[in-house]
Amino acid sequence: MSTSITRKRRSNLRLWSWIGAAVLAVSAFLYGSVSGGQPQTNAERAHALADNFACPVCSGQSVAQSDASVARIIRREIRTWVDEGRTTDYIRSQLVADFGEDIDYTPSATGITSLVWILPVVGGAGAITGLFFVFRRWKLDADFEASAEDVALVDAARADLP
Amino acid sequence: MTNTEPVPDTVPARSRLAVWIVVPLAVTMGLFLILLATRDPSTTRVRQSRLIGGVAPAITGTAIDGSQFDLDNERGRWVVVNFFSTTCVPCQIEHPELVKFQQAHEASGDATIVSVAFDDSSENVRRFFERNGGDWPVLASDTGTYAVSYGVAQVPESYLIAPSGLVVDKLIGGIKLQDLESRITALEQAAAESRAAADNGGG
Amino acid sequence: MSNSILGSGAVSLGLAASITGMIVVAMGLANHRGSWKRETRWLVGIMTFAAIAAVVVMERALITRDFTVAYVAENGSSKTPALFNFATMWAALEGSILLWTLILTGYVVAVLVKFRDRHDDPMVGWAMLTLFVVTTFFFALMLGPANPFKSFNPPLGYDGPGPNPLLQNHVLMAFHPPVLYLGYVGFTVPFAFAISALVTGRVGEGWLLATRRWTVMAWGFLSLGIILGAWWSYETLGWGGYWAWDPVENASFLPWLTGTAFIHSVMVQERRGMLRVWNLSLVVSTFALTILGTFITRSGVLNSVHAFVESGIGPWILTFFALIVVVSLGLIAWRGDELRSPGRIDSPVSREGAFLANNVLFAAFAFVVLLGTIFPLIVEAVDGRSISVGNPYFDRMTMPIGFMLLFLMGIAPVLPWRKASSGVLSQRLIGPAWFGAAVVLFSVLVGARGWAPLLAFGLGGFAAGASGRQLILATRRQGWRGLVGRTNGGMIVHIGVILIAVAFAASNAYVRQDEFNLLPGDTATMSGHTLTFEGSTVIEYPNRTERVARIRIDGGQVYEPALATYPFAGQSINIPSVRSTAVDDIALSVLSYPEGTDDAVLLRATIQPMIVWLWIGGLVIAGGTLMAVVPGNRRRPTDPVSAPLEEVSV
Repeated sequence: MSTSITRKRRSNLRLWSWIGAAVLAVSAFLYGSVSGGQPQTNAERAHALADNFACPVCSGQSVAQSDASVARIIRREIRTWVDEGRTTDYIRSQLVADFGEDIDYTPSATGITSLVWILPVVGGAGAITGLFFVFRRWKLDADFEASAEDVALVDAARADLP
Repeated sequence: MTNTEPVPDTVPARSRLAVWIVVPLAVTMGLFLILLATRDPSTTRVRQSRLIGGVAPAITGTAIDGSQFDLDNERGRWVVVNFFSTTCVPCQIEHPELVKFQQAHEASGDATIVSVAFDDSSENVRRFFERNGGDWPVLASDTGTYAVSYGVAQVPESYLIAPSGLVVDKLIGGIKLQDLESRITALEQAAAESRAAADNGGG
Repeated sequence: MSNSILGSGAVSLGLAASITGMIVVAMGLANHRGSWKRETRWLVGIMTFAAIAAVVVMERALITRDFTVAYVAENGSSKTPALFNFATMWAALEGSILLWTLILTGYVVAVLVKFRDRHDDPMVGWAMLTLFVVTTFFFALMLGPANPFKSFNPPLGYDGPGPNPLLQNHVLMAFHPPVLYLGYVGFTVPFAFAISALVTGRVGEGWLLATRRWTVMAWGFLSLGIILGAWWSYETLGWGGYWAWDPVENASFLPWLTGTAFIHSVMVQERRGMLRVWNLSLVVSTFALTILGTFITRSGVLNSVHAFVESGIGPWILTFFALIVVVSLGLIAWRGDELRSPGRIDSPVSREGAFLANNVLFAAFAFVVLLGTIFPLIVEAVDGRSISVGNPYFDRMTMPIGFMLLFLMGIAPVLPWRKASSGVLSQRLIGPAWFGAAVVLFSVLVGARGWAPLLAFGLGGFAAGASGRQLILATRRQGWRGLVGRTNGGMIVHIGVILIAVAFAASNAYVRQDEFNLLPGDTATMSGHTLTFEGSTVIEYPNRTERVARIRIDGGQVYEPALATYPFAGQSINIPSVRSTAVDDIALSVLSYPEGTDDAVLLRATIQPMIVWLWIGGLVIAGGTLMAVVPGNRRRPTDPVSAPLEEVSV
């Protein structure tokens, strides 16, 4: 009887412990997410933007990464635009107009390029649905017996071991 | 050691399932292979300029000699907008050709050049022109960002702008005087023919 | 005799031995006789000797600067320092294939030794045959489009340009490719056994047990190789980053993802006999992806800084890739019936359920990376447009998957097999939950802001808490043995991965980068650090000229980023200098020394927190992998761990 009481008390304690951990984590998280920290400076914003565009002449490097002249020029231009207070969309459309669609590292969400965004989501949803049905079927035919084949396999595997 | 177990009863269903999975996979992989096999190496892809056929983006500013330059004021004659840098070797090679072109057209005034430095300081550019000659407006990149509005990724790159102010050609990898002249002649001829055709049609 | 002839001879010998091996093993299998045992031993010996000989000849040619070998003429130079000259063997395409082949033959020898008592077992026979097919392919490549021993007639006084300057300014260049290849090539062995299992129809657990350690070792090398690569690019490319979702980086990451999925799902098959098709598919995909990676890296179809100069090797690799896909898909379809899994998963909230979720997530991760990498090609083929897929796409798509994986890493280790009760979970997870909460609180207190990094830190803390809990329990029970064996080693690896994930999130979220034009004596301020430019010096080396800038950080030590000009390669590169602490890194690189202005420098500074922890995480992963392959000997893997089978099947 005493054990059941301590067990109950312990599980109560654990419940409170969980609530405490959750409150602590959530409040710290919310505070940190909402209070935003120091505002982004123009240099930071320009750098973040430059990383979203491909340097037109360097294979596989972004404007932010590359040392090529054109990357430097574009970095400077992005900085000018940021200082002028232009929006990200404005900067994107300017660069795409000047250098072509392939300067933009973010595939557009319209037309055929939207597939790159949609396919993984559809695939993921498909996988989850599939698993759901598999689990349901497993639950339905809970009758299960090891076949002779399985036993043989296990025996064979065991026999392989030293 | 091979498996001699009797095949379970449910095989047809399972086999069908296997087919349903393997066949689409195989088709996808097939398409994927065709895709990879038919692509050209990335280095051979050429970048088309969207400027051709459109109005030339503005170039206005103070040239390194202190004079004012405005591309719009050059309407009525051919303009070669030349993007270059003093350190690039093909630019150094094409420079004498540009000098010859400018000299050939100086008297008639039917064509001119404007050079725009690409990521280069005015100081370097001034020295470059002192050493290599050339007497036309030159804009240094620290006075403006024309390279971005022209979408120049690599120098030398030049744009041929017709007297109408439209961009008619993009020339990459160094200019040859002869190519430039024959290009202008051909374009002038084509323009004259289409004018004649329009006149005939109208009359 | 000239190195060219000697080398070609060695490669031909290797090819001959491979082909003969293929034939001998095939005949032995066809006759159901174990008679091929001795011959195989000889042939593998000859083949390995040939590969070693070819490498020795190549190194000899490089060290003696024998420019009659075209590879040396194109990539060697009398001015390259000794270490990088040695590493020049894998600085270009042909040599890298040679290194690949050497490692491959090493693995074949290891298989031969490991299975010396089972040479008449068809399972081992078919695996040997598969291995011989793969070695044949690589030896053939070296006689075909990637011939490292082509001869060259150098003019008098000829000196080569040396390897690409980027490949000769950091020691890591000597280690990163071999380690990466040890990983890549290592997956050939499990692949060979998977094929063999499919052919012989012994698709049970035997082949898994046979290849378990190989897979884990290969995985460990691949992880270490990828991290060394990231480190190398951080230390040499000078853009302050270490990972850019570049096609070549993705090419190495893809097999890592499927390999990681396999290492987890294999446990479900071992314990429960399930997921057979899936596991076979994962092994096959992992190997196929290493070959696809070779194609991406070496065919020039995709843009990448890391890519080799393009060559005619593309169609060869693609054909081999097609062969792998056709054979594997065909075999899986053929064996479809026997691959039927005998078990089922009782509850999604169980260890096997967690492994399943893990696999769905890793598969999704791999799909996203593969799709993003090749998507520009698809669009170009379909409607001729040229587009790019980069950072923003990969970051946005993989971030949720990463969060879910971290969460799973916290829960899965404490889940029992078969079915978990909420009481058990609540008792086992409360510690990790507090740890995660404490990490979030600590992060907020030290000034971390933004939901994404905070979520990553919190989940990372939670997952680390769970792994730590397992390790503490195990060491309490077993002493030092609580750190070895697959499960415990795996937990150490988890901690390494969590360190990397957290450092990745932190450095991405709080990176600060700026460029400064400084005159000697000028000081720039950035994120609370001061950078003082004290002047620059020119240093002449045999193969390059460096102009070194002296930057004093925070009034303390001086760091010396430089701009190096390699006249022979006609290239100048910046050599960054990095100040690292446990808290943050300051990476400095010289963009240029603007002419015309007196002695000024255009300096780029990148400040990122926690970078060091990426490399420490890498070391932890390597250590954990080592622990995982040390036999834990407390339980045979086939012993039942949860309820015995009889009780369940009532």
